[in-house]
Amino acid sequence: MDKPSHISVILDLSPSQWHLSSLPENPHPLSLRSFLSQLLAFLNLHIASKHENTLAVFGAFPSKSVMLYSSTDPEADNTENVNPNMYHPFQVVDSRVVTRIEEELESLDQSEEEAPIGLVGALTKALCYINRIIHPSASQSSGTTSEDPTTLPDPRILVLSVSPDLSTSYIPIMNSIFSAQKLKVVIDVCKVYGPDTVFLEQAAHLTGGSYIYLDRRDALLQHLIMSHMPSPALRKLMTVPTQDKIDFRAACFCHKNIVDIGFVCSVCLSIFCAPVPVCSTCRTKFPIKTLQRLNASRPPGLKPANGALKTAPSTPHTRGPSTPR
Amino acid sequence: MSKFNKDGANGSVIDDLPHALLPFLQSQSQNTLTRLYQRPSACLSIFRLLPPLDRQIVMNLLWLESPVPAVTMSAWVTREGKKIYDATLLNLSRLHILPNPSVRLSLNGTFKTSLRQAITGGGTIGSFGTAAPKDDKHQPATVETLDAYAVERWETILHYMVSSGTGQLPTKPSPGVLFLLQRSGLMSTVHGSALQITSAGFQFLLHSPHDQLWQLLLQYLYMAEEREMDLVEILSFLFMLSTMELGREYSVESLSGTQKAMLEDLRDYGLIWQRRASSRRFSPTRLATTLTSSLPPLPTSTSSGAGTQDQGFVILETNYRLYAYTDNPLQTAVLNLFVTLKYRFPNLVVGSITRDSVRKALANGITADQIISYLSTHAHPQMRKNKPLIPVTVQDQIRLWELERNRLKSEEGYLYTAFASQADYEYVLNYAKELNVVVWESPAKRCFFGTLEGHSNIRGFIERRTGGQA
Repeated sequence: MDKPSHISVILDLSPSQWHLSSLPENPHPLSLRSFLSQLLAFLNLHIASKHENTLAVFGAFPSKSVMLYSSTDPEADNTENVNPNMYHPFQVVDSRVVTRIEEELESLDQSEEEAPIGLVGALTKALCYINRIIHPSASQSSGTTSEDPTTLPDPRILVLSVSPDLSTSYIPIMNSIFSAQKLKVVIDVCKVYGPDTVFLEQAAHLTGGSYIYLDRRDALLQHLIMSHMPSPALRKLMTVPTQDKIDFRAACFCHKNIVDIGFVCSVCLSIFCAPVPVCSTCRTKFPIKTLQRLNASRPPGLKPANGALKTAPSTPHTRGPSTPR
Repeated sequence: MSKFNKDGANGSVIDDLPHALLPFLQSQSQNTLTRLYQRPSACLSIFRLLPPLDRQIVMNLLWLESPVPAVTMSAWVTREGKKIYDATLLNLSRLHILPNPSVRLSLNGTFKTSLRQAITGGGTIGSFGTAAPKDDKHQPATVETLDAYAVERWETILHYMVSSGTGQLPTKPSPGVLFLLQRSGLMSTVHGSALQITSAGFQFLLHSPHDQLWQLLLQYLYMAEEREMDLVEILSFLFMLSTMELGREYSVESLSGTQKAMLEDLRDYGLIWQRRASSRRFSPTRLATTLTSSLPPLPTSTSSGAGTQDQGFVILETNYRLYAYTDNPLQTAVLNLFVTLKYRFPNLVVGSITRDSVRKALANGITADQIISYLSTHAHPQMRKNKPLIPVTVQDQIRLWELERNRLKSEEGYLYTAFASQADYEYVLNYAKELNVVVWESPAKRCFFGTLEGHSNIRGFIERRTGGQA
């Protein structure tokens, strides 16, 4: 049970959202600075738990994503001065993460409008990184690392999100979820600020992770430790909070809107917000009679959001990447 | 010695058992532990030695200012986890990390403060070691030098042990090490002659280096108690070493007197390296920096020639033939404990496992399970493809050879004979059977054998009976 574990942490570092989060009108204002200090304590505890535990930190910035730190990164380890009051690996992680975030935030261009957040990029990079460390033989043919499965870390991803959902990123997020399922990677989500995000809720649910909406934002560290620190093996003994209701709604392929009722192509399972004569993904033509019947059965106006689409999450797997823009 | 053996064996065979050091810490007084918990590095290392659920509980409570009702915490535990959770609380309270866990849960104040300091940095104790200022004359020792030194020291000790009975004369470790080996019961002198390896010593050789190291260090701690050295100083120095960084030099200045005295011992074991005995700086080796992890404490690189330690090198075939790809005299000597070696090549040793060779090992006190676990931990990567790893025939045969030795069992007791009648005999025998004390019976000869514990009852029964008849 006492296996080493790996956490890839994804930080949502949207400057505008963090600015909103730190405004004093919030019930519990949380600035980026105090968020980082609590996060670093969490990271340190993770490394402290076991010598073999590994860590990677990814940052999602507006329209880009960067790897901020990884335990296998050799150049991170060149600090000269040693503080006798602190464990050396902690110093390396802390200084590296903070300086890299500062560098990246400095280099952002000060344009008026903020570009959409690169969360998907960070998620994909994290998955690629995990894939590399759990298949060491593929990347290092020298065979110096033992291929004993007991020494390989238990991987998971922790997303700390502040931005609202981007409906355009529905398909790539779903595809990431499927690869995570395939790699047996658990995705934990902590919603630090902003409204619930539908897609990340689904990500946590489908991979068996926990989704936390942070009410008491002054207790961030305690929430992180109680619900995101236990490794998947430990969660059998110590429960972590899970959602009681999950929003399963999907986004349509044509306008990227989140829909309550969608129309699904019977051949390729693409989702549309309105009946279409030709499926834009697989070019299947639908009979005109069916279209008329479907149009007739559509509810007049907008129905309240209670009919969730249960079949939706499985759809983009088949045809996701080839959808037209 | 018996205490020591128990602890050592516990930590080694199964990974799920708690670390060998924890029972030792639990046996210490609250005062000692509280003094130890004043150092952040010690708290960090102890935290790391704890089992996973214990760590989680400590983390849950670490940042809380007020105690948590025990009911609240146990609500988080699933039904399967209940038993482990209760054991966890007991374990933590024995370590005085969690005093009185029955009603309210709250960490020991000293431990909490120190662990928080370790995580966030801060404080002024300097418990993670003061780095030595840059030396203009000498470059600090490279990782390769340190590894080579650690391997050389450690293998000297093991090689001395393994070849003690064979008449070879390997390099002798320092007197301090010899004394420790003798005290720990791994070696002993038989009527005044040179040191001989004992059966505990043979078992020791088959353990992983990590367990061997802790076994010796635990013995060192017991000895320190007798020598009236300050245990807190010793433990905190060991923990400090375990948090240090490989390949960096640290200054001797900030160490206490006891700790400076320890430098010499630790140098002999290969845990630290110093340029000269009087040097004012020291570098921990890999043996020291991996004390609280499960990484291999000796280097794994094959380039240095000495260490093929972690990589498997043994191929065992179903026909009991064994091929060991090694040039290391120590590994050859350890194999020689239970294998009849046939040929030797520069990089290969060939032998076979025979009844005689295994019986010789069993006579030395090595068990069949230890042989099998040694073979499986050192199996060649090529063999790892097999399932099961060790051929079943060989495994079973080794176990059978062990059983062969256990054909006779001795038990102390009393033989009851010369019953007057068959009825008498059966009456007493039934009584003895009810007490479950019969070892052997023979109705034809009208006698049975009872255990020592049952004798007074049976005797009383017979006396009452004969008394009643008279």
